[in-house]
Parts: sequence; structure tokens; C-alpha cells
Amino acid sequence: MRVELIDLAFSRDAFVLRGSGAFDEGVHLVSGPVGSGKSTLALLLAGLLWPERGDIRRHGVLTTQLLLQFPEYHITSSTVAGEAASWGLLPEDVLALAELSGRAEDDPFHLSRGELKRLTLACALLRDPDLLLLDEPFSSLDCTAKRKACGMLEEREAGITIIFSHERAVLPRVDAIWEIEEGVLAARGSVPDAIPSWRHAPPYLRYALEQGARPANIRLSDAREALCRTRG
Amino acid sequence: MIRITGLRHRLLDIPDLAVDARHIAVIGPNGSGKTTLLSICSGIEEPEVGAVRLLGRPPSAVKVGWVGEFPDRTLLFSRVYDEIASTPRFRHRPCPETDSAVRAAAEVVGIPHLLDKKVTSLSGGEKALVALAAACAGDPEVLVLDEADSHLDAVTAERVRRVVQESPANHVIWCTQSMDTAAAADCVLFLENGRVCHHGTPEEVFAALEETCFYPTLWRVCR
Repeated sequence: MRVELIDLAFSRDAFVLRGSGAFDEGVHLVSGPVGSGKSTLALLLAGLLWPERGDIRRHGVLTTQLLLQFPEYHITSSTVAGEAASWGLLPEDVLALAELSGRAEDDPFHLSRGELKRLTLACALLRDPDLLLLDEPFSSLDCTAKRKACGMLEEREAGITIIFSHERAVLPRVDAIWEIEEGVLAARGSVPDAIPSWRHAPPYLRYALEQGARPANIRLSDAREALCRTRG
Repeated sequence: MIRITGLRHRLLDIPDLAVDARHIAVIGPNGSGKTTLLSICSGIEEPEVGAVRLLGRPPSAVKVGWVGEFPDRTLLFSRVYDEIASTPRFRHRPCPETDSAVRAAAEVVGIPHLLDKKVTSLSGGEKALVALAAACAGDPEVLVLDEADSHLDAVTAERVRRVVQESPANHVIWCTQSMDTAAAADCVLFLENGRVCHHGTPEEVFAALEETCFYPTLWRVCR
């Protein structure tokens, strides 16, 4: 399974997005400043926008799912159970994974933002698409909710997962890092080798690198473990 | 000084609290009442029971600058200039005074180049900076930011932090999900289920939260 970008170019007004590279199976993190083109790339990869030039080639990718930054735009049903059913899923399975048992008959708009994000993430994960695209899955969540979302993502066993995020405190274990700056997508490579060249690395990772530690992955716990090893 | 007495409003229940610090960070889980507290401190909502006094006055008698979490939903005008000008214009300030207030606020926030742009053509980060400039254009005595950094990258968040730090406002009340940001405040309030569970200096409050994820990531690795 693989998604390849071949000299991709897309422009809107003065903004131009460019990129080449291949997304293999595993979890990819695409980081970059706000307005750098992360959401546009997500829409292109989801097939909701068409590149002007270049190509996106999907090898062995039969199903694609995009989760938008604001889950309220996804809601199509007036109950939580109905929302789960609208994805073609068994509500019990979704409610169990989203830890929302007992909320089946509630209006999705009465859920907190964290609960709503968990609901849509649970639906997307249970659909188990070959290509899962998540636009800012952690924004406006508290750290407990971010941790839960990371845990749910780390459980995903197959397929390509691409996370577009500027999150700098709570991150999941990932396989590869990409960055977008001013519309240009750059592959930093596989983790952990990519970590030292990651310009948007969160402050705790930067600190660990400055101390000479070599974290095995990008989570806070990885930085702490690496620091413990260097400090002996 | 911010003084809260016998406050009960929706889920908020704050019997008595006095905070005499300039930069106050409000933290806590989603749904703990942070935005509600900010709305009451800004005079946007009147408390059902109890009272809040800012600088010895009710919030409605204080000049408050508000920056919301979703600038998209609060920006009123289509041109950046008009959005920033709305604060002095709504106060019926003369045109020359309005113009200089707009340019000064845009300068402080670092967005003079955006003044003639349409709000719809801006990125999310730029919209947040416009909302901050509009809040600053009214010379606020109290600046209130509701998770204004949730949708900002590190560079833009740092700029917001600098503007807020250098603002002449007597108080800054900043609700954030970034504990590294909250660690730089003079005082931290930790809310849970509508109650202030911890308040004090960052050292005091985060010492009580060390076993939770509400602990600055940098402190976690540096200490």
C-alpha cells in the first residue's frame, strides 16, 4: 500500500502548494505553521481537490477517510447512535471504543468537543480505511482527551495514517515525519533518524536533543527515557 | 485585582477568590467552565448569583478586550481595517483617532501589511492576529484570551505571547491548553467541574498537578 505524490502543484490566489514523495504504510505526521498548506494537502490526498499539475498515485489504496478539524461539520444525525449507524457501523462498537456508552440517544451537539472528536475518530478507525487522513485531530482538546486520541490511533494496525497537526505537547508514536513550510512539502524521513532534522519539533524534544539524547520516538515519554539514558 | 464573591453561574461555583496578579492563566479540562468564567469576567454574561469585580468595578464598567478561540466566528467586518476599527468606532471615537488607533494596533501585532486585505483571504493564524489587534485597539484595561493559541503554530503563538506580555493592560486573563504557556503566567487557576481546585503561582499549582498530564512538558524534561 502506498500513496505517491509526483511533482504535485496546487495554487489558490497567491498561495502555491508543492510536493513530491511517498507515504508508505504506517503513521505519518505532517507538521507546519498555520496557513502553510496542511489542510489543502489533506483535501488533495482525500481526492476532494484536484492538483493542477503533477499526480497523486494510490497503490493498493481502496478506501480513504478524511476527518476534518471541526467535527461538528461531520454530523449528519440527531443522535449519537444514529451518527454511528450513518457510518455503516454498529452503534455499540462505536460507543464502546469512543467511551460514550450510555450516550446513545443524546444529541451529538450536546457532547463536549473532546467527546465529539472521540466519536468521529472512533467511527473513522472502525471503518478501517486504507488511507486515514486526520486534520488537526488534537486541536482544542485537553491533554487527557489528546492522550486518549493518541492511544486510539496507536491501536490502528494497518493502512496509511497521515496526521496533519501543529500539536506540540501530546503526540502519538509515529513512523515518519514531514513538514510543510510556505507551501512546500518536505520529507524528513523515518523516525527516529528524522527527529534531529525536524524543524517544528516540540520544545521537549528540542531540549532532549540539545542535551545529547536520542529519543526513539517523538512522545514526551520517549524524550524522558532518552534523557534518563544519557544521564545514567 | 480580580475579586469573585459567592459566584454561582451554570456549572461555576466559586465561593471566594481574590487574585492580584497581572497575567492570569486559566487551565483545566474541556468543559470545566473556563470559557464561562472568562465570559463573566468580560461582562459578556451576568452571573446568576454572586459578583465579580475587576479593578474594583463590575466588568461591564471596565474596558475589556476579548480574543475568542474561533476568530472565524467573531470577526464582523469583511476588511481587516474595518474589523480593527470596529472597537473605537463602536465607542464613537473621531475618525482621525480611530485611524491612528487601528494603525498602532496593527503595528503592535505586526500586521500593517494586512490592513487592506479581505478577512476571508486570511489564514487561521492571521485571523487570530486580527482579532488580537481589534482587542488591543480599544486600549483595554483587561485583555481576555479564550484558548486563542489552540489553533496557532509556535511562531504565531509566540507573537501573541509577546504582544500580550507587552500590552499596557492591567490584567491579562488567558485560558490555554498549553501548560508550557501557562507556566509563564504570574498566577494559574486550575478549574475542574466549575470549581477552582488550585490557584497560586505556576510553581504551586503545577506541583499539585505533577501526577497529571496538566504539567508543563518542558518542566517534565528539564527538572
